[in-house]
Amino acid sequence: MELSTLNGNIIGVISNNYKEDDFKDLLVKDIIVNKTKESLKMVKLDETILDKKFSDLSSNYQNKVILASKLHDKEIVLVNFSRGLLKKEISYFKSLFRKVVSYNRRIILIDKNAELFLNCVDRIYVINNDTVKYDTIDIFDKILELYIDPPQIVEFSNRCEKMGIRLDHYTELDELLKAIYRIKA
Amino acid sequence: MSSYMKINDDYNYVVLCNNIDKVFLAKYAEYPIVDGNLSYDELQNKIELHTAKRVVLNDTFYGLRDSERKEILDLFKKRNMKFILITSNIENTLYADYIFVYEDKNIILEGLRDIVLKEEKTLKKLGYGLPFVTDLSTQLIYYDIFDKPYFNLDELVDDLWN
Repeated sequence: MELSTLNGNIIGVISNNYKEDDFKDLLVKDIIVNKTKESLKMVKLDETILDKKFSDLSSNYQNKVILASKLHDKEIVLVNFSRGLLKKEISYFKSLFRKVVSYNRRIILIDKNAELFLNCVDRIYVINNDTVKYDTIDIFDKILELYIDPPQIVEFSNRCEKMGIRLDHYTELDELLKAIYRIKA
Repeated sequence: MSSYMKINDDYNYVVLCNNIDKVFLAKYAEYPIVDGNLSYDELQNKIELHTAKRVVLNDTFYGLRDSERKEILDLFKKRNMKFILITSNIENTLYADYIFVYEDKNIILEGLRDIVLKEEKTLKKLGYGLPFVTDLSTQLIYYDIFDKPYFNLDELVDDLWN
């Protein structure tokens, strides 16, 4: 599947057909070769990591190294980028992605964690055996649940709906809290 | 494992860590480690083949669907096995009886799940945050809608609207 044919600036992909980058025993300094210092800073790593082997790093650090190595590419493809990341880091990288695409770049996130797609991607594609099986711009799309567990805030809305409480499609906790408060008050 | 981390035979543990590298995993060398990017079937097979009373799961819940995780938990129960799940994902703490919270190589918090997940400020400062259900219910305490945090979404939804 030619990922460059997909529409959007930040694209979510659900698929088992793509492998995570594995630089094995390569040193980090041989992986991040373009604007190293700036790239490390953007992914919140320090320069002490440069002399370490990729294979010795945690998945958290590996994913940051992979991103740093691709930051200056026109099209950045990240497979299971959310693996090993903390909640706060996922929020940080979503805002970094928005900044990066404002410099005329595209980001394709092939991931198993729908929380990464929430408030981040323009469109979500389901790809199986080199074919687009489904695509949507709506993270609340029920058909998507056939392929991936929805983000928790979506799951909460779904369960409320099953109880006959129809909430708007909130994607931020603050907005959801205010809505619940209004109903309860 | 370090001697100061006492393991209770009856508990399932979740270890929250932001940097799960080989050095960190070496702490758990006394237990068989199940790791790798495993599908549900592969993970199920591995657990079924284990004879150990307790195994370490190295972020093996990543990529599984909620229903698959629940089936794996049932399998542990059925086989009378326990686990230590090492993860960076705070949502996984809901599967724990007892939680250790690390920042790099240092333990910052530990205790029974319901106690540790009340440490909202510390967990958010460390970057882990709270599981969605616990975060939502904790915020609803501030709105005077709830008087306790929740650890189960169905219970929260039931109590909220009934």
